[in-house]
Order: sequence, then structure tokens, then C-alpha cells
Amino acid sequence: MRTTCPYCGVGCQVEPEVQGGRVVRVLAPDIPPNHGALCVKGRFGLDFPFSGKRLLYPMVRESRDAPFRRATWEEALDFAAEKLLEVLRRKGPEAIAVFPSAKTTNEEVYLAQKLARALLGTHNVDHCSRLCHSSSTAALSRSLGGASMTNPIEDIWKTDLFLVVGSNTTETHPVIAAMIKKRVRQGARMIVVDPRYTGMAEAATLWLRVRPGTDLFLLNAMARYVLEAGLWDRAYVEARTEGFAEWRASLEEYTLERAEAVTGVEREKIALAARLYATTERAGAYWAMGVTQHTKGTATAQALVNLALLTGKVGKEGAGLNPLRGQNNVQGAGDMGALPDVYPGYLKVADEAARKRFEALWGVPLNPKPGLRMTEVFAAIPEVEAIYLIGEDPVTSEPYQDHLKAKLSALPFLLVQDILENETTPFAHVILPAASFLEKEGTFTNTDRRVQRVRKLLDPPGEARPDWWITQELGKRLARALDRPWREYPGPEAIWEEVRQAIPELMGGISYARLEAEGVRWPCPFEDHPGEAVLFRERFNTPSGRARFFPAPYTPPAEPPSEEYPFTLSTGRVLFHWHGGTLSRNSRLKEAYPELKVEVNPKDAERLGLQDGEPIYVVSRRGRIRARAWVTERTPEGVVYAPFHFAEVPANRLTLDALDPVSRIPEYKVSAVRLEKVD
Amino acid sequence: MRLRVDGKEVEVQEGALLLQVAPVPTLCHHPHTETKGLCRLCLVEVNGRLHPACATLAQEGMEVKTETEALRRLRKTLLEWLALTTDLSQAPELLSLMERYGAEPARWPEVAGRKEREALKDNPFFLRDYAKCVNCRRCVDACGDGIMGVYALTLEDRGLLAHPTTPLGRPLPETPCVFCGNCVQVCPTGALRPLTLEVA
Ligand code: SF4
Ligand code: SF4
Ligand code: SF4
Ligand code: FES
Repeated sequence: MRTTCPYCGVGCQVEPEVQGGRVVRVLAPDIPPNHGALCVKGRFGLDFPFSGKRLLYPMVRESRDAPFRRATWEEALDFAAEKLLEVLRRKGPEAIAVFPSAKTTNEEVYLAQKLARALLGTHNVDHCSRLCHSSSTAALSRSLGGASMTNPIEDIWKTDLFLVVGSNTTETHPVIAAMIKKRVRQGARMIVVDPRYTGMAEAATLWLRVRPGTDLFLLNAMARYVLEAGLWDRAYVEARTEGFAEWRASLEEYTLERAEAVTGVEREKIALAARLYATTERAGAYWAMGVTQHTKGTATAQALVNLALLTGKVGKEGAGLNPLRGQNNVQGAGDMGALPDVYPGYLKVADEAARKRFEALWGVPLNPKPGLRMTEVFAAIPEVEAIYLIGEDPVTSEPYQDHLKAKLSALPFLLVQDILENETTPFAHVILPAASFLEKEGTFTNTDRRVQRVRKLLDPPGEARPDWWITQELGKRLARALDRPWREYPGPEAIWEEVRQAIPELMGGISYARLEAEGVRWPCPFEDHPGEAVLFRERFNTPSGRARFFPAPYTPPAEPPSEEYPFTLSTGRVLFHWHGGTLSRNSRLKEAYPELKVEVNPKDAERLGLQDGEPIYVVSRRGRIRARAWVTERTPEGVVYAPFHFAEVPANRLTLDALDPVSRIPEYKVSAVRLEKVD
Repeated sequence: MRLRVDGKEVEVQEGALLLQVAPVPTLCHHPHTETKGLCRLCLVEVNGRLHPACATLAQEGMEVKTETEALRRLRKTLLEWLALTTDLSQAPELLSLMERYGAEPARWPEVAGRKEREALKDNPFFLRDYAKCVNCRRCVDACGDGIMGVYALTLEDRGLLAHPTTPLGRPLPETPCVFCGNCVQVCPTGALRPLTLEVA
């Protein structure tokens, strides 16, 4: 039976064959987005639902020092509801936060945010894309009025130039990377901006090895050069944008000379990249965490937006602005309103018309004040007293781990709903066992806005239940006590029908029946609408209909290397693993990549007397971890690269929690460290 | 564009392959890997000459025959040779083709085939059991130009000796292989198959 891969935002369609309690084979059907292709995770990593670490029964404890005891669903749900209500009565809605997950279905996210807003009265709702693409979202929304990829994945076949910035695509979005590389073999060109020699750099026509955290300077310099050389699209800028003059004035200091000094890339190369991008009609920009996870993440995404607008690349086939979303359902979680300042459909919490729409739909008065973002919620503990955490493992994924653990230890009530035991479950008061993607119905929305079906192939193990069922049961109890209305849904399709009703302009035409054959892209306002492929062909989604330039001033990384900490640590992923490793390291994938390896440039290794494979400590101002050195040219001199999948040696013990001022995303990509030999 | 297939008039678009109008058995052809023209199983007669249907564009006025006695004999022989040299036990489509064409491999003398090759297990995900390989090349193309562009597989030697392997015969983990399993998905004979199918 056909379903959707639970790992990355490509959203590959998979057909897992399940027999005798295991996945024996995974094939891919010949439909979009992947047309039969998969990567190692979708092909061989779908067996985590059979892991021995599955949470099988509800568990409860009265205090953090008490042991967990097995409870019935009734007991656990009653207990959780009581605790939430107690905090609500004593401290008000702002003391509670609900974090739906970008790994659960649209229906489940919708229900969780509805529970937070309509029952608990709080907009403290957020999810893990706070930590990955919130800066892209911020820049794209304010400039274009939309925060998704502007172009569909299929447009890769129509693209003549790829500008790939800060994306290790071959490892993080492998099926998209394979398509881009194939298009390059067919004759398209590719410019890659990355400090590391990734698979994309290897396939690139032009690779710009920037110093970590300086890509913003480079992009601004490209824009300045394009202007100076008269290569910009004057007609487009005049007809479709605003804020140009002010932005132009902000580019003064970004000369090629200075760019070379700051970024370490030769000026001729920068000029060539700018020229190629500006003069290729079908040029698409793709980016990911290398752009976003910085204290200037929003500014860097903005610089990409500015460059694309200047050269007239948005609203055209084979071009556009394409942030590659990480988790399988990051796009959907945002669409469904798992954000503190917007309802489903990105309707502003602060906007009265939006509030009225949801008050009418849900039959309750709603809080007019936007909520706190995830990073702010953790910082606000113990002012925030209760967190309902669904499918997220902040202990592994948040920066500066020791600090976060201290915060969680001080949190009076933590409700964790998840499929597997992880690093965060020990901090919980109540643990509710959830069904995995193989065990439930619903939809995920992939990186190019395609809503796709998730289908039940198996019954959940033990007493595990689908997230939507759990949230609904919890909602029932809260509603009863608060005397508020709470609709009961027979299943995910009924929830989806409410979503269609709530935001018809985006989802109105997307029915489950239509999704049988293949996914449909939003916006899709009515049933015979094909779904929009390229956004903003005629107008942008801003009040004026024009896109807006914003100055994107460069600032150096928050924590530069020093004598004591002479290396720059960059964190990220590897092909075989996924985020905190909770899923991938409970699957067959763990055999292919069993332990943490930290990339060290051969020159640095020689200076430190390090051998390939030698154990080392990586030490920052915040902590130390032990890893194995992988001596490789992939990483430049002065930079070490550590994947963050290994909970027992967490790279995030080292990262700092300096935040982007706009999106509050942490600067995972640059922290100062030193390497120590292990005696 | 109009042409005749086994005496019947058919209409096709410019650029269509003969395969799209002339339904014949295929083995090497695969749309995603772009493999074609190797196995000869799909040969058809066009105006009296033989052409692989998977690699020939349809043209106005063609007179195509898909099942002449000669073609049937040819397919029968091809299949017999495959069965003679290769373990087809996990290639159901080929087995049913053998039945359809009445293939009798036993009518040929024994050949030192590849049946004796030992299965290679050098990674945690899949086997390379080349005793079952018919050299269709799909895996090589999936890995290379067709899909992945990583070139962890190549075809070595020619003719009867031809076989897929890794560069210098290295174990897969020492090649650029990314274990996407796209080679496994396109392999028509079970020569490449997930390890999870083994322990059943
Ligand atoms: S590319 Fe992403 S969606 Fe596709 S199989 Fe790999 S992890 Fe799954
Ligand atoms: S699994 Fe390895 S050999 Fe097979 S196609 Fe993928 S990269 Fe190539
Ligand atoms: S291993 Fe499979 S796909 Fe590759 S050549 Fe042999 S039969 Fe064809
Ligand atoms: S299928 Fe046409 S030659 Fe193999």
C-alpha cells in the first residue's frame, strides 16, 4: 500500500511491504514527487516502528523524583487534563505551551493547535521549524507574503541554473539532489555556496567556499555587482516590487574587494556567480540550514530574496525561491497553524478578521495576543509551567543542551506524547504512547506544498494510539471541565474536512478522494482546481501585491574563534541519519553509520597530530563531547563539522543559544571550539 | 502519425517509441534508468528488418510485426540461453515468458554460466547475488546517468563475460554508493535484493 516517507520534506511516495512484524521491502511507485526513486532512509530506514524502544503504555508519575507507573488511558488522560487545568486556573493561559510536531500529520497538528487556542486560550504554539526554517519563513513572508517554495520540484527539469546556498542537498534531500545533479548532467549549471565540499559542491559548475557565516556578505556583494554591471531586471523591479531605493542604498559597503576579504572567495568568482545568476532566465535558488541557522539567518534569507527580486526570478517557471524543508511535515505544520502568531492558513492571530473567522468556526472567544515562540517558551520556564510536547525531542534538538535540561528539570508539568523513548521522555510527568506513520491515516505536506496521504498498514503496538485520537481525548476532558465546545471527530478525514472549511482559499479543493491517486498542491481553492505549481505569477501575496526589498545588513557570527577556542564548529546531518537520531538510529540505518565522526581538515589534523579515526574531545565554552576524528578535505581549515544525531554525544551540548533577532532561530552553524586529544 | 502494427492501423504522437504501440516482452528497458537496446528481447520486424522496440522511434508508414515465427524462435532461444547461464528462480516475469515461448533450456549443452557465483554481502542493506544477474544494465544506469549520478556500479567485460561490478571490484561501502537502493528497485531478476527478504 502506498504511503508517504516519514523522514524528509521531499515527501517521497513509498510502498512498504510489511510481513510478520517487519518491513521486508520498500518500493516506490511511479508518481510524483519521486517517480520511483528513493534515498537510503526511505528505502531501508522505515523499520523504526518495530523498535524495542516503542512506548507501549501510558505512564504517569506524580513528581519528577517518583518512578513512572503504568496507567490506563483513562487515568493518564484524566491526570494530564487535571494538571493542565490546574496551571490554567492558577497562572492563566500564558503559562501553558503546546508543541505539535512537524512529524505528525496535518490533521494532528490542526487538532493540537486548536486545543491550545480554543480550549486553553493560549497561542504558545510552535514546532521544530523554529529551529530550521523560521528565518526563511520570516524573510519570505514579509517580502512575498508566503513562506514556502515558490516553485514545484518538477521545475528542476526546466531550470538552467541552480544557485544552491547552505544546503548539503545530497545528504539532507537526496532525491531532490539526484534530480538537480541529473539536470546538471543534461547541461544546466550549478553554483554552490558552502564552506564544505559536499556532494553538491562536487557536482557544481562553480563552488564558492565561503567562510562559515559569511554567505550574507557574499549575496549582498552579488546584488551590488549585478546593479553596477547593469544586469538587473529593471522592468520587473519597477512593475512588481517596492522598497528598492532604500535597499539599494544599503548595499554601499558590499564591494567585491571587501567581499573577498570577508568571505575568503576570490572576487572574480563572486562576479562570475552574480553574472551567471542574473543573466540566466531560468535560475532557481535553493537553500537550507546553512543559510538559516545563524544569528543573521533572516537577513541571509532576505539577501537571497532581494537578489531574486532584483533579477526578476520569482513567479517564473524553472526559477524561484526554494527553501528545502527538513522534516516530512514542516510545511504542513506551518500551514496548520503550529506557530505562535498565526492561525491555520497563516492568518494573523493579531488580525481581527482572522480571529472572527476562527471564533465562528470553533464557537469560542479567542485570545487576541500572539504567543511565545518555542525558544522563548523554554527560556520562560518556570514562568511557563506546563508544556504539552508532541513528537519532539528538544533535549536533542535545542541548542546548549545542559541549559535546556536544567530548564526542563524546573518545569512543573511536562506531558510527552511520542512513539519512541528519547532524551526528553525522562523529563516527563505523563507519557502518552503514539502510533507511528505506518499505523494511522492522515496527510503530510511536502516541501513543495503537495498534500499527500499517509495510510494505515498496521495496528499500533501495545496500547499506542494515533496522535489525533490522544489529542481529541485530552480535548474532551478539558472541554468538559472548562464548559467549552469541543467537536468529536470520527477520524482524520473529518478533521481534514474542517481544515478545508477553515481555510478554503488554500485547501478547499483538496479532498481525501482526490488524494487517492496522487498528492495535490495548495493553494487549491476548489475541487477541479489543479493546485498551484508556481506561486506569484501575477501578484505577490502582500497588501500591495508587490514584493518588498528589505536591507539585510551583515553582522559577524556571535561567537568568533579565539585563542582558546580556535575552531569554528558547524553542525548538521549525514545521509544515514535524521535529526536527533530517534528514528534512524532505531532502524537498520544505524548499522551503516554507528557513531559520531567529526570532520577535521588534514592541515589542522597534522598541526594537532591527529590521525584519521582517532578519538578526540570537542570542547566549547558550554561543554565537551567525545568523538572520532574523520580527517577529510570536505571541511575547510579551521572548521570542524559534527552531525547532531548522536544523543549520547550530543553536538548540541556545544552549540550556543545566540538567536536571530527576528525569527529567534539559534546559531547552530557557528560556535567556537577546540579539539583535545584523548589520552 | 500513422503506422501498422501486426496489420492493424495505429496512431501515435511524434517521438513515441515503437514499444508504446507494439506490446512485446522487454527486459533491459526501463524508463527511469533510460536503459534500452541491450537484451534484444523486444526485437520487432519493421519493413522486414529487426529493430529493438524499446530503442526505435515510431515513424509514419512503418509496417511493424511483433510476433512472427522467426521472432518467437529468437525470443525462445534468448530466454533459453538466459536460463542456461543464470539462476532465474527469482525472476517471475522471465519465468512466465519462458512458459509463453515454450523455452526448453535442456535442449542446449551445459555452459559454464554464472550460476555458481557467490552472493556478495558487503553492506547492511542489500545483497548482490550475481548468479541471478542477466546483465540488463539497469542497475548500472540507475546508479549512474539515469538517476543517481554516483557511479558506484559499472559493467565489466563484453559479451558472455559481461557483468556488473563496482570500480576495481571494491566492496560497496568503499565506493561512492549511497545505498539508495534504486539499483535494487530496478533489478528485474532478484540479483539485487534487500537483506530483509533473506532472514524471513
Ligand atoms: S529523499 Fe526524503 S522523502 Fe525521499 S526517501 Fe529520502 S528521506 Fe524519504
Ligand atoms: S544503492 Fe548504491 S549502487 Fe545502488 S543505485 Fe544507489 S548508489 Fe548506486
Ligand atoms: S544486477 Fe540486476 S539490474 Fe543489474 S544488470 Fe544484473 S539483472 Fe540487471
Ligand atoms: S528491452 Fe529492448 S532491447 Fe532490452
